[in-house]
Amino acid sequence: MIGTELRKTFGRPRTWVTIAVLNALPVLVAVLLRLTDLAPRPGEGPPFLSAVLTNGALFPLAALAIVLPLFLPIAVAVVSGDAVAGEAQAGTLRYLLARPVGRTRLLVAKLVAVMAFVLVTVVVVALVGYAVGSVLFEARPAAGTSVSGTSLTTEELAGRTLLAIGYVAVSMLGVAAFGLFFSTLTDSPLAAALGALAVLVTSSLLFTLDAASPIAPYLPTRYWLAFVDLFRDPVLWRDVVRGLALQGVYVGVLLTAAWANFTTKDVTS
Amino acid sequence: MSGYGRGRRWAVLAALVAGLCALPAVVAALPADDADVPATALRDAVLASAGVGFSGYAVSAGGLTLPVSDQLPAVADLLSDRVQLRVWWRGEDEHRVDVVTAAGETGVHVDPAGTWTWEFESATAERTGPAPLALPAPPDLVPAALGRRLLSEAADDELSRIGARRVAGRDALGLRLVPAAPAASVARVDVWADAATGLPLAVQVVADGASVPALDTRFLDLDPTPPPAAVVAFTPPDGARVRPGRDAGGLLAEADRRLTAVPLPAELAGLPRRTLAGAPSSVGVYGRGVTLLAVAPVPARLARGLQAAVRASPDALVDRRGVRLAAGPLGLMLVERPGRGTYVLTGTVTLDALAEAAGQVPGGAP
Repeated sequence: MIGTELRKTFGRPRTWVTIAVLNALPVLVAVLLRLTDLAPRPGEGPPFLSAVLTNGALFPLAALAIVLPLFLPIAVAVVSGDAVAGEAQAGTLRYLLARPVGRTRLLVAKLVAVMAFVLVTVVVVALVGYAVGSVLFEARPAAGTSVSGTSLTTEELAGRTLLAIGYVAVSMLGVAAFGLFFSTLTDSPLAAALGALAVLVTSSLLFTLDAASPIAPYLPTRYWLAFVDLFRDPVLWRDVVRGLALQGVYVGVLLTAAWANFTTKDVTS
Repeated sequence: MSGYGRGRRWAVLAALVAGLCALPAVVAALPADDADVPATALRDAVLASAGVGFSGYAVSAGGLTLPVSDQLPAVADLLSDRVQLRVWWRGEDEHRVDVVTAAGETGVHVDPAGTWTWEFESATAERTGPAPLALPAPPDLVPAALGRRLLSEAADDELSRIGARRVAGRDALGLRLVPAAPAASVARVDVWADAATGLPLAVQVVADGASVPALDTRFLDLDPTPPPAAVVAFTPPDGARVRPGRDAGGLLAEADRRLTAVPLPAELAGLPRRTLAGAPSSVGVYGRGVTLLAVAPVPARLARGLQAAVRASPDALVDRRGVRLAAGPLGLMLVERPGRGTYVLTGTVTLDALAEAAGQVPGGAP
């Protein structure tokens, strides 16, 4: 069943169109930077972008930082919101459930397919970012400088970049779980995706408010930017670990909620 | 049957959510072990902790809106914002404090011969030599250093014990300092010191009449073992811009040459005059502990800038003695003496004490 869901997700042209559109923004930013030589001032703009003009090897990270706040979550919300509600809207959910498989298994297969989409998307953004960074800017893969001002070897830089890619992918799991849960509540994929996005906008807004600081550690977007901490020296694991744990809690709770709702839901379409 | 199963599943979910929501409150409510340590003994333990090596992660929240932000943006940010600090401490003259931001970092590496300041965003490393006096820097906000500094001149009768609490997962003993001087603008300083090592783990400074601390700095993580020297040391990376930092010692010497020394009284606003190593002779320093007042003549150009900044604040008080303003417990007053330049009076004293002191400086309106 997981294989079927994976084939379905990656067999759809719209999945690849989504990934292509997602890559368009970092590429556009890179071209503009190359043409104008106007990097954001230090401390402004997405992380790592100001350093890209001098080291193109950092562009995969800048590309992830560019899509992380909005584009990537929108894509994940759309795909995960479509998971169950899309089948219901198309009238195929009834037939899907007519097969001798449990609803819980279907839910897990849907989640795995969404997770695979997240991982492929993040890896493609990083790979395109690396290609664009190497072509358009002077890449200095021999060594890099950590955020703390120490030198990193090629292996260290590559290893930490891989960790960052993994971390960003895990950070999207919370969004995917919200999308999947809402997808079991409604027959409209649009409503499910918008529901997940509403949660993210609320979280991002509350994070900027001092008055909301007591609940800030529990907001789903709180630790998204912690992948920058992987490039400090020594690595600051504190927020990375908390970010992973928080995403785990959201996925656990929302998947349980989706299961509680979906396993006995009346499916009429 | 189906309805029963559905209800049971939602009950499982509700129990899971309730358990997760209660977890932070349960952890926060873990009781701390108090120890029967008198206040003065706890202060002595805090002051003796200077040699304790540790590493940790601290957060400082400042509420001081300084009126001089144009001239000293870094200092103003440090005292008015929420600052996250990573600390590696081997000793007073060998430590590293990184101010961590979402997309960057400013690292201060102190060694016996001076200080490296690394700024990631501009890829700049600045080297400054040791100076007797310096502007507030990130290491000053580390709870351990700040707690020792604030308690260093505390008298026995100003101290009391305030129980114990858990800070950074460790038992911390509470010590309250209430300054005795009537001129004091600091209502109290609460220091929570590690029961095992004496290291201050949290410090709160509350201004007179305020309900929330003007400065609240605390460790969130602490490892009381000395960090390796390699983590504290700094070598500028390839491609970094390396430049000498502002020479604070030279600035002070220059100030000493340019400013005209004025005979200042032995006491201002009830605070006795004191000496401060490294301060120019034209600057008078008064008071003790957390109640300090500094009086300095300022050049006309600087005075105009300060006047504009202070008068721009809606809270500024203007009368015949001059213009004065409080930012939390920090007071600032400018006194113009016709034909004889301007004094600036500043310190942790009340606005009334500033006005009283203004009337006592030579040339000030009585």
